[in-house]
Amino acid sequence: MAVDVLLGLGVAAELLCVAGVIVMRTALDRLHYAGAATGVPALFVLAAVLVHEHLSSGGLEAIAAVALLFLLNPALLIATARAIRRTEEPESDL
Amino acid sequence: MNAFLIAATILLATLAPLLVVAHVRRPIDGLVALETAGAVTTLVLLCLSVGMDESIFFTVAIVAAVASWIGGLVFVRFLGRWI
Repeated sequence: MAVDVLLGLGVAAELLCVAGVIVMRTALDRLHYAGAATGVPALFVLAAVLVHEHLSSGGLEAIAAVALLFLLNPALLIATARAIRRTEEPESDL
Repeated sequence: MNAFLIAATILLATLAPLLVVAHVRRPIDGLVALETAGAVTTLVLLCLSVGMDESIFFTVAIVAAVASWIGGLVFVRFLGRWI
């Protein structure tokens, strides 16, 4: 039951983030939702996996995968935001 | 079909509109869609590994997370330089 609830929350949050990426008008607005996609939804899915798998090798690998998403993605978002700003304001020295 | 396989199917379906965004919109918008698709793919692989009880998919999810990050950085580098 807890697994179903956590998975449902994770999928719903991920759908919300994907909808934001599709619907928003500017690239920076889309980027906000792209960043959110690796935050709360990934943690909900990880929690569901851990409730099901406990701290087995699979659970530890799931922690590693979500930790990589959670920790590495901000660097990618910052680089993307700088590229967006550079394309929209060519004189910017970023 | 258990909850993890249903979740993986739903998440997999969200890749289609992201593909449309990447195809129709500007390249920089497509890059944002690609980054989102990388995160979704990692979560799909996690759900598939639990749903199918195949522990090897957990490793694939880790590789997908790192590979999508590196790919995103490469695309950002080239798009930032050439657009």
